[in-house]
Amino acid sequence: MTKVRINRTILLTLALLLIQTSVLPWLVPDAWSERLLPNLPFIMSVFVALFGGRHPAFLFGLGFGLLEDLLFYGHLMGSYGYFMALLGYLIGLVSDRRPRTIGFTLLAVGVGSAILDTLIYLVYRLFQYTSDSYGFAVYWHIVPTLLLQVALALALYLPVRRWMLKAASASDENAG
Amino acid sequence: MRNKRLFILMIGLILFIAMLGFTSGRTGLTWPERFVNDAFGTVQGALYRPVGAVSEFFRDLGRLSDVYKENEELRRTVAQYTQDKIHYNMVENQNKQLMKALEFKERQQKLYNYKYIPAQVVANSSNPYDKTIKINLGAHDGIKPKMAVTSVDGMVGLVSKVSEFTSTVMPITELDPTSSDRISISATVLGREEQTFGIVDYDKENNVLQMTRIDENAEVKEGDLIVTSGLGNVLPMGIIIGTVVSNEVGDFGLTHTAAIKPAAKFDHLTDVFVVIAPDVDAPDVDAP
Repeated sequence: MTKVRINRTILLTLALLLIQTSVLPWLVPDAWSERLLPNLPFIMSVFVALFGGRHPAFLFGLGFGLLEDLLFYGHLMGSYGYFMALLGYLIGLVSDRRPRTIGFTLLAVGVGSAILDTLIYLVYRLFQYTSDSYGFAVYWHIVPTLLLQVALALALYLPVRRWMLKAASASDENAG
Repeated sequence: MRNKRLFILMIGLILFIAMLGFTSGRTGLTWPERFVNDAFGTVQGALYRPVGAVSEFFRDLGRLSDVYKENEELRRTVAQYTQDKIHYNMVENQNKQLMKALEFKERQQKLYNYKYIPAQVVANSSNPYDKTIKINLGAHDGIKPKMAVTSVDGMVGLVSKVSEFTSTVMPITELDPTSSDRISISATVLGREEQTFGIVDYDKENNVLQMTRIDENAEVKEGDLIVTSGLGNVLPMGIIIGTVVSNEVGDFGLTHTAAIKPAAKFDHLTDVFVVIAPDVDAPDVDAP
């Protein structure tokens, strides 16, 4: 059983969020800037869900989701907060008592990212801020973003395992 | 246990929908939001520019061969500019004299006295449906919502949310005519300002910027430069929006609709200008 060092993880995620908004846009070529939109705090909340359980993941997803909502605020606020909390909780629930292999982690990031982008598309569609068809949204940004997210999760996997986790000692009470 | 979970989910859903409804179409920000925006903006600014400089450097290395041609072109433009400047000074002086002769009021004379304040982009959004840009000027520097933001190429967008030291810019490609918080830009063709008039918005269905409600007798050709008209007093006059790609009969057959290619690029922006129009309705201190 492992335990997440939550303070370190929060600091790392804040740094990753800054990188996502100010550094990554420069690395993405012009033609792809509307299609590759990584969401690093979401990857981190999947890690928290897998290694720390569903309740920390719920709060983590909620906090960083709302922070992203605020930083990107144009039309609506709240969609990232709600869905990242929900997905963090659900991924924590599904992965309970399952082996934490790298394959399962990547699968969770990929599926989670597709579901998150779909739900956010549906909210903006409902409020009529977009009129793209769902098929177009999948082709235009959901699939490219998903692939990038999986690649980034792969890159983050080892550092997170090394520095963000610690083996829980017998005296620790972690009921999960 | 299962009941409790469902209960929390329902409460969360209600809160979520309430929040969506409450935040849609709001212009102000509460103080915690402004604080978080400013705190992040400071660090984002420190990251965005250096990374941008390095990235631009490598991009420029790739197109060194174009620099010679570009230099040639710039030289020609400067020569043209010097001539135009002389002409402009003459016309401006004449205009001022005529205004005086016709007894224009102080307020009317200051109407077109725009200030261009340089600002720096500090971050981009990664929400696919809220492609906002953040700049490092805020209420402290006199920025207000709905001010126009331009780059050297043309109009980028409008200021949408203002914090103390940073503000959020909504690109013109997000101005959806069917959305609830629409803002219309009145526009005209450069050189034929008196004859043509239309409203610029973004057609999300076909992903083009378009100018609608053009009079069918008005002359709008491919390659014409579209600029803001300043009518309606929401936006200043004479900001470049883009060039006309095609002009066709509009939805109802009575007016024409032109497709426009935006002049500004929305990726990898660094320096932009916020256009501040003189507040003509405010009480004038210097007035005699």
